Amino acid sequence: MLAIATKIGESLLLILAVLVFNFVLVYIAPGSVIDALSAGSLGDASEAQIEAVRERLGLDKSFFGQLFMYLGNVLQGDFGYSPIGNRPVVEMIAPRIFPTLLLAFSALTFAVTIGIAIGTAAARRPDSFLSSGLTVFALIGFAMPVFWTGILLILVFGVWLDWLPVAGMNDLRMSSRAGFFERAVDTAEHLILPTVSLGVIFLATYARLARASMMEVLQSDYIRTARAKGLHESKVLFKHGLRNGIIPIITVLGLEFGILLSGAILVETVFAWPGLGRLAFEAVLNRDTNVLLAILTMVSVTVILANLLTDIVYRLVDPRIRTGGRA
Amino acid sequence: MTTLRDTTTLADTRERPPIERYQGLRMFMANKAAVLGAILLGVILIISYILPLFITTDKLAYVASRHTPPLTEGGPILGTDYLGRDVALIVMHGGSTTLEVAGFAALLIIFVGATIGAFAGYYGGMVDRVLMKVTEFFQVLPGLLFALVVVALFGASTATIVIAIGIVSWPPIARQTRSEFMKQKGLEYVKAAKAIGASNARIILRTILPNTFPILIVQSTLTMGAAILFEAGLAFLGLGDPNNLSWGYYVGLNRQYFLTNWWAVSIPGFMVFLTVLSLSLIGDGLQDAINPKLRGR
Amino acid sequence: MDQPLLSVRNLTVKFGEFKAIDGLSFDLYPGKTLAVVGESGSGKSVTALSIMRLVELGTRAKVAEGEVLLRRDDGSTIDLLKQSERAMRSIRGNDISMVFQEPLTSLNPVYTTGDQVIETIRQHRKTTRRDAAKRALEMFEKVRIPRPDKVMQDYPHQLSGGMRQRVMIAMALSCDPRLLIADEPTTALDVTIQAQMLGLMKSLQQETGAAVMLITHDMGVVAEVADDMVVMRNSKFVESGSVYDIFEKPGAAYTRALLASVPRLGSMKGKTEPERFDLVDREGM
Repeated sequence: MLAIATKIGESLLLILAVLVFNFVLVYIAPGSVIDALSAGSLGDASEAQIEAVRERLGLDKSFFGQLFMYLGNVLQGDFGYSPIGNRPVVEMIAPRIFPTLLLAFSALTFAVTIGIAIGTAAARRPDSFLSSGLTVFALIGFAMPVFWTGILLILVFGVWLDWLPVAGMNDLRMSSRAGFFERAVDTAEHLILPTVSLGVIFLATYARLARASMMEVLQSDYIRTARAKGLHESKVLFKHGLRNGIIPIITVLGLEFGILLSGAILVETVFAWPGLGRLAFEAVLNRDTNVLLAILTMVSVTVILANLLTDIVYRLVDPRIRTGGRA
Repeated sequence: MTTLRDTTTLADTRERPPIERYQGLRMFMANKAAVLGAILLGVILIISYILPLFITTDKLAYVASRHTPPLTEGGPILGTDYLGRDVALIVMHGGSTTLEVAGFAALLIIFVGATIGAFAGYYGGMVDRVLMKVTEFFQVLPGLLFALVVVALFGASTATIVIAIGIVSWPPIARQTRSEFMKQKGLEYVKAAKAIGASNARIILRTILPNTFPILIVQSTLTMGAAILFEAGLAFLGLGDPNNLSWGYYVGLNRQYFLTNWWAVSIPGFMVFLTVLSLSLIGDGLQDAINPKLRGR
Repeated sequence: MDQPLLSVRNLTVKFGEFKAIDGLSFDLYPGKTLAVVGESGSGKSVTALSIMRLVELGTRAKVAEGEVLLRRDDGSTIDLLKQSERAMRSIRGNDISMVFQEPLTSLNPVYTTGDQVIETIRQHRKTTRRDAAKRALEMFEKVRIPRPDKVMQDYPHQLSGGMRQRVMIAMALSCDPRLLIADEPTTALDVTIQAQMLGLMKSLQQETGAAVMLITHDMGVVAEVADDMVVMRNSKFVESGSVYDIFEKPGAAYTRALLASVPRLGSMKGKTEPERFDLVDREGM
């Protein structure tokens, strides 16, 4: 319990660190929001108007004054105003969070389940083609640029075979009166290709990890004990083997979450998926710094929370950590 | 077990007889995948650095009608892009841009990672704990998004891109170096160096660091691959130098036309894939040569 | 004498070309303890795994020929080597169960000890979880685990080696097996715990009437608990007979050497160091 409390405290500190870091970046960056504004919509603003905006944004305050103002605003859920979207940043970001989480969760589930299945199958037959080819598959999976995989998948499955939708989260022709179920099925169809493009980077990695860990587990004495008890091989494998075999995978999961969400930016851009990543791409194009910073904050917080969650799950799965044992 | 003889044998590892030294090379050559990777990388380097020397035509010139498919009679071999430019020519020139940005970034990553890892591993205690917290912080950050913010704030020059990739990618190297330093510092040859009064700086730089080179070399091939992917991702999103079209940037430019022009997006993307794959194959082969026990993992 | 409970006939097990067991035969009688003795690598453990038909599941070995006849309650026998995997599953942990050498690693670290025993019971008996838990608690009491209700909630890493081995024995005996195969059950334990464990196994055998096949390299253990013994060396059968007979008059030179390796009380009287004994060469067999 104490360990988890410490972890939560650490996570909060990490979030604070991310915010401070964000602020420092903007502070030392050349060209303020004002410059960006005056280059764009406020091109003909007078000195007095600019001074008024500076005051409103608190840019006339000291470093720490601005930092505390920024932190205070963020804690109140105020990420500033987007001159491009002409709305508060929060309003632009809020509807984008769910699609990104859906995509990330879906890709992760895909990579972990298929990866573990392949890795376990390979671990059972170490001499098979599957097992010896796994290293090469992993290298290939790692080497594919996500955006390229995405485009190839669109070309093959969306255009030439015309099996799956390739853009957005829902069919534009779908009537607004469509029921929840119909909508969900449509979203699921739209989710397939982005999920595969994003998941494929991790698929081979998890398969490789699962193979190494399951090979070790399957040779362990408690697996022999489980067989000697008369358990069915599937129970031996899944109840006694997998529960131990996934422990190393869980530890990696949290660490890779940042990479997952980074990849999501590229995948969302390719598939016009209406998530935070797509918004980040648009914000870069429009030089909409406030939105970009808010996304960085949101995504960092998500990654930190995901790490916290994996840590808790890890403790639940492995009693040796939970009960503070020696072995 | 801690006899004087052990100390000398360990200290002498750098002066092994030549036969043993080539053993690693032989193991590398025996690994077909690694040799394939080396050949592939060689071909890519020739395409990117030697071939352009023989071509004097302007790479950005109009050569044939827009969207001419590859292998069309009268058109360039790999077709043209949405502006009627020669895809093969641009991709060929894009290699050096991609490799240079990734190369500098990889150097920065190794330098920062190895330095932080060496300090954390060698000094341990409080230094280690603080440095590892910092490492964890950077490891948890969503790298690409973070680099995106840095490049967006500071402008898309080669220097900012290199630095942006560098500051988000060093944590794995730092962790590896740290654990290697922690392992090595307990060994006899380091104790022996301490006993003869060597300074900490000397022990870190001259005694332990050379022994972590094998691992750092493997890591740098893998890091280089990761940096290429990173650069490609940033450039694909439009954060690159518009005058030096890197592969990723070129994919990004052609993206909106990919339904009519699949070759201008797939070919540069394929080059990124091949380059990263060749580096990974080499890295994997080196890993096996250094540590045969991990083979097949 | 009764008819044997288990008869191994000409058992041969191969790892590729290498014969891990080469034509082994022996009989095991109900209610008796048979010790299978030999150095490490002599094929003792493979024999146990072959009887359980676990060699092909966990290792790359294959049973090449032979018979393993198990007598059923009605007096007829079945050849375990010819049974389907499904039939074997109903025998493992039920008619024949096993205790392994390493109590530290033989229990699954992520489940409580109670769960692991309950799982065995419910695998072979149609009972509710509550009844199985009650049975498991009885078994924990039977193997003299102090505070059994608490230990059932514990994970293996929270227990000492001796306690874990008691859990293993409780698990092995939970379905009233007719044969318990114990593979070096005391080797990994402290010497004081070893003696307790042997005493426990002996009294449990008297209580349950199960036959025990005890695999060991330790002649001291054999002398203490076994009725009969089989000596193995380099995958081959050396000799068998009652422990009394063999200790009294070992037939093979190798058995004599094994026996000589056990220090006897008073054997060092008047000497400053143990007497050297000659290793038996292969030709002497």
